[in-house]
Amino acid sequence: MDVAIKLIFDVLAFSSIMVLVVLGLAVIASMMGIFNLGHGEFVLLGAYTVYIFRELGLPEWAGMLAAPFLVAIAGLVIEIVFIRRLYASPVIAMLATFAIGLIIRELIRVLIGGQYYAIDEPVPGSVSLLGVDVSAWRAIIIFLTGVLMVACFIFLTRTSFGLQIRGALENPGLARASGVSTTRLYAFTFAFGAALAGLAGALMVPLFSLSADLGVRFLVQAFLSVMLGGVGTFEGPILGSAVIGAMVPGFQWLREIPLFGIMVGDLIQPIVAEVLVFIVALIIVKFRPDGFITKGRI
Amino acid sequence: MANKHANGGGGITRRSLLRGAGALTAAGWVAGFSGGWILRPRGAFAAAPIKFGVATDITGAIAPSGNSNWQVIQLAVKKINDAGGIGGRPIELYLEDTASDPKVAVGNVLKLIQQHKVDVVVGGITSAMREAIKNPIVRRGKTLYLYPQLYEGQECTEHLYCTGPTPAQQCDELIPYLMNTHGKKRFAMPSANYRWPQLLNKYARALIEKNGGEVVFEEYYPLDQLEYSATVAKIKSEGVDCVFNTIIPPGLQAFTKQLYESGFQKDGGAHTCVYFDENSVNYVPERELEGVYTCLDYFHTVDDPVGAQLQKEYAEMFPGTKYLFTAGSAATGAYRAVKFYEAAVKKTGGDLSREAVSAAIDDVAITDVPGGDSRMVPGTGHCALNMYVAQAKGGSYEILSSANMVPPQECG
Repeated sequence: MDVAIKLIFDVLAFSSIMVLVVLGLAVIASMMGIFNLGHGEFVLLGAYTVYIFRELGLPEWAGMLAAPFLVAIAGLVIEIVFIRRLYASPVIAMLATFAIGLIIRELIRVLIGGQYYAIDEPVPGSVSLLGVDVSAWRAIIIFLTGVLMVACFIFLTRTSFGLQIRGALENPGLARASGVSTTRLYAFTFAFGAALAGLAGALMVPLFSLSADLGVRFLVQAFLSVMLGGVGTFEGPILGSAVIGAMVPGFQWLREIPLFGIMVGDLIQPIVAEVLVFIVALIIVKFRPDGFITKGRI
Repeated sequence: MANKHANGGGGITRRSLLRGAGALTAAGWVAGFSGGWILRPRGAFAAAPIKFGVATDITGAIAPSGNSNWQVIQLAVKKINDAGGIGGRPIELYLEDTASDPKVAVGNVLKLIQQHKVDVVVGGITSAMREAIKNPIVRRGKTLYLYPQLYEGQECTEHLYCTGPTPAQQCDELIPYLMNTHGKKRFAMPSANYRWPQLLNKYARALIEKNGGEVVFEEYYPLDQLEYSATVAKIKSEGVDCVFNTIIPPGLQAFTKQLYESGFQKDGGAHTCVYFDENSVNYVPERELEGVYTCLDYFHTVDDPVGAQLQKEYAEMFPGTKYLFTAGSAATGAYRAVKFYEAAVKKTGGDLSREAVSAAIDDVAITDVPGGDSRMVPGTGHCALNMYVAQAKGGSYEILSSANMVPPQECG
């Protein structure tokens, strides 16, 4: 029983981190048709903000609060200066985001001297959950992810601004004719996606550590999540990232379970378990090329 | 002033090197045409200088260690030159950046040998780097090569001398200490998937089994794996009492956090990681580091007047530097390398030919190095070292046990 709780908690925790990373990526991809290859660096910027706050002698939680806003401003500037000019050709826009990501990543590598830095979580240690000790900070991340998902959903489906965004997505021409400034909306959406990435980075950096490659580590899995879930829906990528996020610790756990009298761990090395995530995801994409959810656009 | 380059640059790109160029020239630095750097000795010397090549990771992922090696070598050379050089000949330093990238490194190392015709090369930190540059230096370049980092052993190339600890030196004291003093019997070996952990584990496992212990599992993870919940759960459920950890960053931080949060140490488990030193608190939070065992050839807390004096001089030469003079980053090995070379050249009476120096260095002994005296073990290319078993306490290390002149047990 203890093991089951631990397993469920760990799977939930890693899924939450993936959902946080993917949410921003999916918002931009769904709304604007651009795959933001610099998304990992927005995550990194969020993490870096917490580090800067700490260096300035401010508490980590303040950095985590500020990160989404600061990264949103960075995203807004990037949208106005570069991305705005490239909506007509999404492939070029994608390459531009890659270049911007590379610049941000290498810049931060210089700024932190290529080192790894440990960042303290605002709530350290463990808490007891049904008699099992679990990481307090991971529990908070699971909770915040849930809150954020609900807030995003309400924002997009229940507010007039959300309605405008959905309208501009369905039919940009008609939206413009109805007096909706799509330029402004796209800029906002991009900044919003960046803010989500910044928050993801700020919240997860205590679990790992700050290094220039923090974002890249998650980018490939995040793309796979969006593919798996389906572009153009809100729930799809969340489901996709939850599945990918569950598979990462899931396969490691699977190694510990005897199956038909054989220890799976003897057959699957940890190295292979990591690759299996991609293989399984690609097989699913092969049979459901449009992802899990293809209908019910918000 | 030379420290300005090392501090401000963060040691990461060519651009930051260029930014420091003004300060470097002021400090006696001359930029080579090739992009490398030369540090000429100060003062007047009658004899021609000895050309001392340094090939280390000034930029890239290993830059923090590479820069500390480079700074420590500058200190060692400055002290020798201030004392009149080796037999009246000063040392001139030639630096090439190996950029944490073996492909870049080979070309730059060849510059040291072909263009500058250096008499000796010190450098390389990772095993991959050593493998990449040893042939250009030793075989094609016919130059003496000194390798400073703790490593997995089995490097027996002629004219290549290792000045860092071997698996035997790191394990022979540590593992019996953990087993006999603390009664640890059930070991887990979570590891990064490359050569160093594999060979180190092989040695450690034999020692554990010889002492009546058991290795519960030995597993290799991708270097950037970030999720270790299943591993940590297994450590708990299998009743492991000692984790012999050879995971490296970026996987390291996630693993240490998950291990800590599982309450493993709180429940009396021993966590050991043999490359942890005074730098580790930068990348592992202090409370997770607390109580970790390690075994190296030097710690700042070793009762060692020579080491204390060197630390003081290092701090004066590079005030406020973030690149510490520690053992885990190979800096103590780099310092020994310079001293071994000095002792060997003294013995040859100034003959710098590779064969003569190599023959002389083979059984040379040195004093005035951090951590205590050291001596090359003849015919092995490795040195006997004083080793210290230490435990992290409040950000520094408490020395628990030590052994003098531990033999390397390599290439014998």
